[in-house]
Amino acid sequence: MSDTVNSAAIPNTFDEEEPRDPQWYKRAVFYEVLIRGFADSNGDGTGDIKGLTSRLDYLQWLGVDCLWLLPLYESPLRDGGYDIADFMKILPDFGDLGDFVKLVDEAHKRGMRVIADLVMNHTSDAHPWFQASRHDPEGPFGDFYVWSDTDEKYRDARIIFIDTETSNWTYDPVRGQYYWHRFFHHQPDLNYENPAVQEAMLEVLRFWLDLGIDGFRMDAIPYLFEEDGTNCENLPRTHAYLKQIRTEVDRLYPDRVLLAEANQWPSDVVEYFGDPVNGGDECHMAFHFPLMPRIFMAVRRESRYPISEIMAQTPKIPENCQWGIFLRNHDELTLEMVTDEERDYMYSEYAKDPRMRANVGIRRRLAPLLENDRNQIELFTALLLSLPGSPVLYYGDEIGMGDNIWLGDRDGVRTPMQWTPDRNAGFSDCDPGRLYLPVIMDPIYGYQAINVEAQQKNAGSLLHWTKRMIEIRKRHPVFGLGEYIELNSSNPSVLAFVRELGDDRMLCVNNLSRFPQPVELDLRRFVGVSPVETMGGVPFPPIGELPYLLTLPGHGFYWFTLPPAVPQEE
Amino acid sequence: MLEDLLARWITHQRWFAGKGRPLDDLGIESHTVLGTEGEAQLCHLVLSVRQADARDRYQLLIGIRAELPDRLKHALVGITQDGVHVYDAAHDPTLARLLLEGMAEGQDHGPVRFRHTRGVEIDTTQRSLVLGAEQSNTSLVYGDAYICKLFRRLIPGVNPELEVVTALAERGSPHIAKPYGWIETDLDGVPTTLAFMQEFLSTSNDGWDLALASVRDFYGQLEDVSAAEAGGDFAAESHRLGAATAEIHRRLAAAFPTDVVEPHEVKWMVEGFRRRLARAVAEVPELAEHADVVERAFHEVEELTGEVRVQRVHGDYHLGQVMRTPVGWFVLDFEGEPGQPLEERRALASPLRDVAGMLRSFDYAAGHLLTDHPEGETLRPKADEWATHNRTAFLEGYADVGAEDAALLRALEYDKAVYEVMYEARHRPTWLPIPLAAFR
Repeated sequence: MSDTVNSAAIPNTFDEEEPRDPQWYKRAVFYEVLIRGFADSNGDGTGDIKGLTSRLDYLQWLGVDCLWLLPLYESPLRDGGYDIADFMKILPDFGDLGDFVKLVDEAHKRGMRVIADLVMNHTSDAHPWFQASRHDPEGPFGDFYVWSDTDEKYRDARIIFIDTETSNWTYDPVRGQYYWHRFFHHQPDLNYENPAVQEAMLEVLRFWLDLGIDGFRMDAIPYLFEEDGTNCENLPRTHAYLKQIRTEVDRLYPDRVLLAEANQWPSDVVEYFGDPVNGGDECHMAFHFPLMPRIFMAVRRESRYPISEIMAQTPKIPENCQWGIFLRNHDELTLEMVTDEERDYMYSEYAKDPRMRANVGIRRRLAPLLENDRNQIELFTALLLSLPGSPVLYYGDEIGMGDNIWLGDRDGVRTPMQWTPDRNAGFSDCDPGRLYLPVIMDPIYGYQAINVEAQQKNAGSLLHWTKRMIEIRKRHPVFGLGEYIELNSSNPSVLAFVRELGDDRMLCVNNLSRFPQPVELDLRRFVGVSPVETMGGVPFPPIGELPYLLTLPGHGFYWFTLPPAVPQEE
Repeated sequence: MLEDLLARWITHQRWFAGKGRPLDDLGIESHTVLGTEGEAQLCHLVLSVRQADARDRYQLLIGIRAELPDRLKHALVGITQDGVHVYDAAHDPTLARLLLEGMAEGQDHGPVRFRHTRGVEIDTTQRSLVLGAEQSNTSLVYGDAYICKLFRRLIPGVNPELEVVTALAERGSPHIAKPYGWIETDLDGVPTTLAFMQEFLSTSNDGWDLALASVRDFYGQLEDVSAAEAGGDFAAESHRLGAATAEIHRRLAAAFPTDVVEPHEVKWMVEGFRRRLARAVAEVPELAEHADVVERAFHEVEELTGEVRVQRVHGDYHLGQVMRTPVGWFVLDFEGEPGQPLEERRALASPLRDVAGMLRSFDYAAGHLLTDHPEGETLRPKADEWATHNRTAFLEGYADVGAEDAALLRALEYDKAVYEVMYEARHRPTWLPIPLAAFR
């Protein structure tokens, strides 16, 4: 049963009559887009929902299956919109609910889906719930937040933003009590002990799902509940509540997706998939955080072990679940988030290498991180598209956009999308001074050199290459659904693995070194098979009993399909 | 005559130790049928080979078939007068599978006994492949599950590797490949290991290859990039390798008898070092200018007043003997130096002997690429920097080297380097600069 579902193509219509694949997310290519940075429809210098809608044809052409939007809710914007002041209103800069519904409809018409960030753990202190809670402790919202007479409770919970916060408690002079916040002090945590909060948040979810949204990336979910004597992360009651959400989603909205943002080690993150016995009953997806820095580490070290190790440490996930993997996004992990364990390999490697720390800590885009080396950009993208999980592209990386380190850490990678060599990179027709952030203008990454229009005209561009790779990936569901089996490779700089799903078998060989490398692979399982290179369709010599020899250029890679073996004479 | 076929064939085998000397006599000491599979028969032979005064024993696994399929033609030993094909059965997966069955079931075939390690299950469906490029043994890899090493030249006694790995496995060492089974017989009345099968470390590479990837990367860096800043920095791996080495040493000390060497015995040891140094200087004149440095280090050890701890050690420890797997470093080949008598390979020694071996290996890794490099001289300081950086990291990981030990370690390292000078001068003169650089 699940096989027939899996091997069907993702339906490209959202016609109510057509069956929809409930596991579409296992094969989908995600694209993280900043509404603010993508396209400005009304000339006010800020991207908006209508602008994004007008660019959907481009995203469909590229091969994107699902858009992931950063928070688009009413917000004072003290934390990039993650400080939500009203869960049921769109930030006026971006448009209104009508624009949003139109966006989802237009995306669905093109066979694309839309998910958005939702912060479950806290709100902005400007949220009416918080205002009511501090002014009227006895009122209906009095118990919506975690209040205390002292700042002594939950002392074992670490402070996450140690650079800006000194405590997880802040005193509110209005109510005369302390309130709990795991992040910024202007983001009070919701009190999930209160059934009314649980119900209110379910109402928020239903509101957006009814508008047609295809799912949520749920921000900061390990922190929903608190308990003395624990670190207040990953508590059983948090999981119980997630199961409750999932039950509600499954009941009313069967093909939507819940994507967990739990910045933890994979063996802890799997908890957020829920019970493997029934295929997973919490989140459908979760980000695999440690993989990204390890890809960087492996190429830097010219050794496959950083990747091999993390893959070996990644547990099996329930049948209906999928990892989300990425190279870059709007908001990198910081070392503090993943290095609870003393023995943590990554810490010992990273702590000694100032440049690797910078790669993780400072927000840079892919191209400048890789010194604009096309071979490396292609190798990284090929790894992203072939390792287990659903890939998440970051807007602009498909054309190799640069960043602006002078804008401060987060804004540097949030500059306007570069569409054309025209004014404001074709992002907006406003006066350039009005742009929310200046477009990139340096000679290498500036919009006159790097833009969608120019790259669409050039068949050899990174954009066309990326599009072709996405096409190949989508032709082979094995990338989303298959087993990952690392191969014995004679060369420590070469990472070779097979993805396998019945007859759909893909052999991926990656040279992590900048020097040309030979590799001998033990492919005896596939004796008699002639691998076919996927970019050009060239058949390679058949596999025999002896180790299979390949040579790869520096930072080169191959994707081969492994068709059925031609029978051999004894 | 089967003997004649074997005599013509054996002298061309890589593992045959007496190459280049005439073979005076070859006799079959024992001939055991281990089983049949279809039309093919598997036999175990112990040969006695005489060359002048030396007599060596070798073991063979031969297959017998009426006709040889194409895929086995390369393994043909010869065709007997009555038209029977005799071939090297290690290359025949159909027959090699019988070894798995033998170990799984604990079979006895005449004098040849198959055994498996306590508490393991052996999957007998794995298909075998002969691993290429081995000097003194032949290894069969079964699927990606096991590797079975056939010892070719037989020396009566239990192979130290079987003994050591089994003991370490029983004590739960995370740095050794799990033992699965072995084959043995009696030679001169002594139980003698014929083959030893361990977990195959799939998706792993030896430390030498990894270290070279790091060195190569470092040589390709811009000039002002230090070894610690280079992308391919290996120090964290060296550190972990040091820690793994210390762990192995601790468990070896717990599993086998230990002893101490009194100061006067240390002096004898140093005398041995001196004799080797003298021989080396006589043979390799370039070494003479370094003799003072070496002598000072030896003298320092003589002055030591404490006892030296000795225990079972690896004995032939270098980067080629350690494998990086996705779950960390594994140590292989506890055989000691092949070709040496078993008592010597089992002898107790200071664990620093292994440490010295690995330190020398870092020097080799750093210097090896320079031997015929056009910019060899320019890169020399980089080689030194890489070696120092990684030797330091290894020692930090090992963490068990005190001040007294430092003198002993230096002397052991110099002694090893002196040996290398002689070896390279005889066999690989272009590599001679690598050990010579050890004394600067």
